[in-house]
Amino acid sequence: MRRFFPWLLPIVLLASTSAQDWIKTGTGLGVEKVRIAVPDFKATNQDPRNTDLLKTFNDTLWNDLNNAGIFEMVSKSFYPLGQIGVPGDVKFESWSAPPPSAAMLVFGNLATAGNNATVQGWLYDVKNIASPQVLGKQYTDVATTQAVRVIAHKFADEIILRLGGGVNGIAETQIYYVSARGGHKEIWAMDYDGANQHAVTALGTISLSPHLSPDGSRLAFSSFTGAGWEIRMFSFDLNRVVSFPRLGGTNLSPAWSPDGSKLAISSSRSGDPELYIVDQSGANLHRVTNSKGPDVSPAWNRKTGSQIAWVSGRTGLPQIYTMGSDGTNVQQYTDQGYAVSPSWSPNGQFLVFSWMRHYGPGAPGAQDIYIMDVVSKQWVQLTHDGGRNDFPSWAPDGRHIVFQSNRSGSLQIWEMLADGSNQKQVTTSGNNSEPDWSWK
Amino acid sequence: MASTEIFFEHDRWGHNLAWSAALHVCVTVAIVAYAWIATGRHGSNWGEGGGGSAMGVSLVSNVPLPANPVPTQNVLATESKGLSKSQPQPVVEDKEAIPIAEKNAKKKPVPQPTATQRKPQPPPVEQASNVVPFGEGGPVSGPYSMFNIGGAKGGFGFTGGGGDFGARYAWYVRVVNQKVSENWLKYEIDPRIQNANRVYLTFDIERSGRPTNVQVEQSSGVPSLDQSAVRALQRIDSFGPLPPDYSGSRVSVEFWFDYKR
Repeated sequence: MRRFFPWLLPIVLLASTSAQDWIKTGTGLGVEKVRIAVPDFKATNQDPRNTDLLKTFNDTLWNDLNNAGIFEMVSKSFYPLGQIGVPGDVKFESWSAPPPSAAMLVFGNLATAGNNATVQGWLYDVKNIASPQVLGKQYTDVATTQAVRVIAHKFADEIILRLGGGVNGIAETQIYYVSARGGHKEIWAMDYDGANQHAVTALGTISLSPHLSPDGSRLAFSSFTGAGWEIRMFSFDLNRVVSFPRLGGTNLSPAWSPDGSKLAISSSRSGDPELYIVDQSGANLHRVTNSKGPDVSPAWNRKTGSQIAWVSGRTGLPQIYTMGSDGTNVQQYTDQGYAVSPSWSPNGQFLVFSWMRHYGPGAPGAQDIYIMDVVSKQWVQLTHDGGRNDFPSWAPDGRHIVFQSNRSGSLQIWEMLADGSNQKQVTTSGNNSEPDWSWK
Repeated sequence: MASTEIFFEHDRWGHNLAWSAALHVCVTVAIVAYAWIATGRHGSNWGEGGGGSAMGVSLVSNVPLPANPVPTQNVLATESKGLSKSQPQPVVEDKEAIPIAEKNAKKKPVPQPTATQRKPQPPPVEQASNVVPFGEGGPVSGPYSMFNIGGAKGGFGFTGGGGDFGARYAWYVRVVNQKVSENWLKYEIDPRIQNANRVYLTFDIERSGRPTNVQVEQSSGVPSLDQSAVRALQRIDSFGPLPPDYSGSRVSVEFWFDYKR
């Protein structure tokens, strides 16, 4: 009578979990990635500091090129023996032939003398023996690991600019985000690769939705004051919070127009949260949406500055809409589920946003990052099977997206290429959210 | 009385229990079998195309990103001379034909070179048997002149100052190739078109890398295809500055697009 069949349970469970197979698929695009070999740079003198500096330099350069998304890095185990420091050391056939089969070769040397470190670097097209040099650079800075990291970033960006079709690299860009690791939610900043994390604000309250101005001189964010949520402005020139008028009600998500002259914000000063546009000084406030239901999270078209994408609850659940920056020509972009946090790509061609495509009782409730072509309204899902993903923001090169995800157990900042590949976590300590990639 | 009898009535429910157990087993087996079949099918169907999400996947090609490496079919361009020299057709003599005497049958005496004028002939060179005989084989101008996107192909020729731009700056040519193919959105082309003639565009690249003077040199006859090719160029702000050691002020490019659905 007590007999039941415990051995059946694992089979039933197994059958139900195997439904989550994912296959990575895509259409062939025809253009191969450049195979690039990056042997370690060579020390040209015997200074004891060279070892540390070279390690920092080599790691940073390798990571920058690896993260660029346009190269296929040739594994170091394939490299021919012997270090390369100057162009005379290059044996073309040993690099262009298998096993390395490299198309491009990056090499150079580092020398420390006195207080200064000098780096010489070259980029060679090893299949073109007659005129191989694409790039040759020399950098001098103080002999610290921090300065050498910057040199590596600069050199990587030069290579990416040449081989990436005139698009500047992102090795020197920054990401601004909200971190609660100090007890309060403050605005923090870090290099794009997660290095050099430091707090920007110390207000001792709750600060949210940081957005850097296009010229990088100011940071607009939203902060809780005694009366409510107000827009605050931080100046990097003065290194302090500067005055910005208090608008009353709940004021959130300030978004910069691409020329840096205006901000779009959502404010509930008249009851419903509605979108307003205001000069960066705080003057000339005027309202651009007028409908029942909340209107929040504006994002400008970064190419033209003449359109705004935002989230509206006018039909019930939040959906993505666009309009002209004067409030005309409203178009709906999503019509199901729960869609929030739009961000416009630098070339103006795509929107990236966070979407629970099936929302409500019985739905799986996954919140994922999607990309949508603005003209054709075709979309593609970038993340899957990974907790809740929100607040995507484009890198200035249009190839990378930063977002927040709780897939690792806590809320952290993640980065990926704009086709959804190469996802990696960049923060680890505390809870970190709402990333914003700098404009350059 | 009757109520006391109820207490002594023993229900024979052993049978029923057995039936119940058997039924449960059957139902469970059915669920497992269904799940097995159903999931098996889902796994293989995913990404086969045709569905809404497959449409979305194809969009990835528009994201300005490098693609998964796809083996490029190394098809020779039509301008290529090919691997072997075409043989002239042998002239077949008609035996019935009667030769017609030429009108002016006078022949000029052919001037015979005298011994002093005759140039010394170089001794005939033995051709190695494994040498590609004519046109050198391979693609016309280096490995960078063609690309494939899905079923469609494109290619181009460069003309710069000294005429050797393509050879000296192969890396730049590759960038142009990649950039144009990334920005060519095939959904702009009339979906009823199955295949079309090649469309040729010409444009200049200025020192800053900006494409200018985009013109349709030879139309494909399909307006939407011509338009999509021109738009691909218009979408590009810059290919990146021309190589600093290149002396010319601009480079002219001829770019062709082959479309086949």
